[in-house]
Amino acid sequence: MESKDVAIQIEHFTKKFGNFTAVDDLSLSVRRGELFCFLGPNGAGKTTTIKMLTGLLRPTLGSAHLCGIDIHAEPVKAKKKIGYIPDMPFLYDRLTTTEFFRFTGELYGVDEAAIESGLEEAFLLFGLMEHQTALIKDLSHGLRQRLIYATTFLHEPEVLFIDEPLIGLDPYTIRLIKNLLRRKVAGGMSILLTTHILPVAQDIADRIGIISRGKLIALGTLQELRDTHGGDTLEDIFLSLTGEEADACLSSLPS
Amino acid sequence: MSQFSALVRKSGYHAANSWRIIKEQHPFKRVVIVLFALGLEAGLFSLFKNGFEFLDSFQGIGSIIIARLFSVFFMGMSGMLVVSSIVTGYVTMFRSDEIPFLVVRPFPMSAVAVYKFIQSLGLSSWAFFFIIIPFVAAFAWHQSLSPLFALWTLLFSIPFLVVCGGIGVVVMMLVVRFFPRIRITWIAAAIFLVCILLPTVWLFCKAYPSNQGTSFDIGSLVPGFRLAANPWIPNWWFAEGILSLSRQQWVRGSMLWLVLSANAVLIVMTVEWFGERYFFETWQHVCGSRSMGVRNPVLLPRLDRWLKRMPGDIRAMVTKDIRFFFRDPMQWSQVLIFFGLLAIYFANLRAFHYDALPDQWRNIIAFLNVFSVSAVISSLGSRFVYPQLSLEGQGFWILGLSPTTMTRILLTKFLMACTAMVLVSIMLMGLSTGMLRIAVAARLASVGLVSCIACAVCGMSCGLGAVFLDLKQRNPSAIVSGFGGTLNLVLSLGFLLVTILPFGLIFHLDTTLGLSFQTRRFALVVATAWLGSITLLATLVPLWLGVRSLNNRDY
Repeated sequence: MESKDVAIQIEHFTKKFGNFTAVDDLSLSVRRGELFCFLGPNGAGKTTTIKMLTGLLRPTLGSAHLCGIDIHAEPVKAKKKIGYIPDMPFLYDRLTTTEFFRFTGELYGVDEAAIESGLEEAFLLFGLMEHQTALIKDLSHGLRQRLIYATTFLHEPEVLFIDEPLIGLDPYTIRLIKNLLRRKVAGGMSILLTTHILPVAQDIADRIGIISRGKLIALGTLQELRDTHGGDTLEDIFLSLTGEEADACLSSLPS
Repeated sequence: MSQFSALVRKSGYHAANSWRIIKEQHPFKRVVIVLFALGLEAGLFSLFKNGFEFLDSFQGIGSIIIARLFSVFFMGMSGMLVVSSIVTGYVTMFRSDEIPFLVVRPFPMSAVAVYKFIQSLGLSSWAFFFIIIPFVAAFAWHQSLSPLFALWTLLFSIPFLVVCGGIGVVVMMLVVRFFPRIRITWIAAAIFLVCILLPTVWLFCKAYPSNQGTSFDIGSLVPGFRLAANPWIPNWWFAEGILSLSRQQWVRGSMLWLVLSANAVLIVMTVEWFGERYFFETWQHVCGSRSMGVRNPVLLPRLDRWLKRMPGDIRAMVTKDIRFFFRDPMQWSQVLIFFGLLAIYFANLRAFHYDALPDQWRNIIAFLNVFSVSAVISSLGSRFVYPQLSLEGQGFWILGLSPTTMTRILLTKFLMACTAMVLVSIMLMGLSTGMLRIAVAARLASVGLVSCIACAVCGMSCGLGAVFLDLKQRNPSAIVSGFGGTLNLVLSLGFLLVTILPFGLIFHLDTTLGLSFQTRRFALVVATAWLGSITLLATLVPLWLGVRSLNNRDY
């Protein structure tokens, strides 16, 4: 793969918290226009990896380049190219949805005309038009998630990180977001997302990486994973790779 | 448009929406808050004005003291600002949920640090203006200064706030950066000793009246007089600068303003430099140091032996709350600072020879001490006891589902808070009255008063905390500053007045007019009956309302 085709390049990422190694020598690359799905059991190191990629955490070892820019050497330059949607995003409770949208645009240096046109388009798309003057504190979880999606796409990031993208959303919004992500990827955006909902990963991912105890234990398209690890569905593959501990617990239960 | 101006605009939106929310609230709440604020300001103004007039009655020496008092007052303010900036700076810069949001945005760390510094300055400085306005107004009134005096004060206040707040924030950033969090307890204790206790002890030691020689030293009268007149410290630039401008000494006043402003700029540059070099790393350190191994406070196993006699549900709640208290430095450090300073002051009463003063003065001091302890109880009750049920937050369902009743939950919280407050208050009042060597009746009255006040404050705080329960709010300051919190504080302070004044008056009249034995006994019996009945009322009614509210609520 040529370097100009690579959106995310991770080399030997390692993160230690005291004696605990959350991410262990992880190397990975994601192409431009690729939707990469990161799977793993709880505590496997998925969120830690995303936090290192977005500059929220500094790796103990290793480096990451986003569109060719080292996120830790030139953070401001790199952050202009990324978007991040955490599982439980922080929003300013005492701003209205419109104010928050404008504020985020200004933070990324988007010009005013683009903010205004983006606002109408995004609010229509995410069904937020009737909540334009509502304070964020008064929104439901689903509406807050829709708002964060609406604002994240405003500065047209080249790389998007999403941690658990579909938590607490209704079926309509889930469908909307799945379609939107695929459309953005077709437009050249690279997306790295983590999820526990395996059918979603199966549906939308171009490639899948499975991480367990901080190590990348499987990587490839769904077909490649089937060929290498056996099993029909992603669930079979995932459980066969990561389920030993859970199996041991289950078998130790009294009948 | 720069990102920084986006943050400023965001703060503007935020302020406008907060105003909108205030306007949407019940008019009664707004009226109570405004009246309370105005009443407090008017009361403070009157207190300061009378104080200046009293000092003026000493003629020459009085005028010297008044001039120096201006500097002493702002020295006290600067200490308050530094300490409050340490606390608010830590919470705003390193514990705020906003930081991860800003860190992933294309925003230099130095700008994040400066923005959060300004935010913490705003949070820690509103009390500064609230307190200085009546003082400065009383001073200007007494000295017949022109209204421009207010403008000069405002002009000097801004760099003064930046300097004092900045010192606190820089100290906090250095401590958080260079000392591992695992030893936070020891660091907090060391800061407490170095910043609060040692200077206080030193000031008291310096203030011992000199028995040698006949020369008069004004610095020995009030602790801090000499220090406040030191031209190397910001409060002197502040006080002298304002006074110079008021006396139309333009060059001197402008020079002092420039000195203050130059130091303010230096402080902001220091914060910016720290932000660039260390902010991210320090924030990472604070976020990443959550797991600290097994916690096993020595105190709890000992307490467990006592607690085993209690029913399981009550024991579980008590143990949890004790653990929360010791694991939250904000709680124990504030309790330690408030009660610790009072204890130091009371222990030093004989150093000032207050015990040798006439009965009338000793009684006044004793009842002022009752008021000090009660005011601390009242503020701690509002700050920590009132929000404790709301802070159960999203975990309230655990209590709600457990096989216990809301009455038991609320009463457990009340009894715990009450036991702790009453014990500490009795010890403090015992120390104060013992040091003053006042009459046994006055001692009993003081100890009885603080015990009743502690009990009633805890009852009101627990009861109203349950009535105005806010399970969505995670920020204790927001819970406390809500309608219920404000009402609780107002009622607590009102309770202090209606209970302390009758006793204070009886002992004052007794020492000044010499009441007969029967009259005094009758007055004391009436006052005690009043105290007992109003304490019962103030404790039980809010608790009853709280239980009723908890039982009728959907979770």
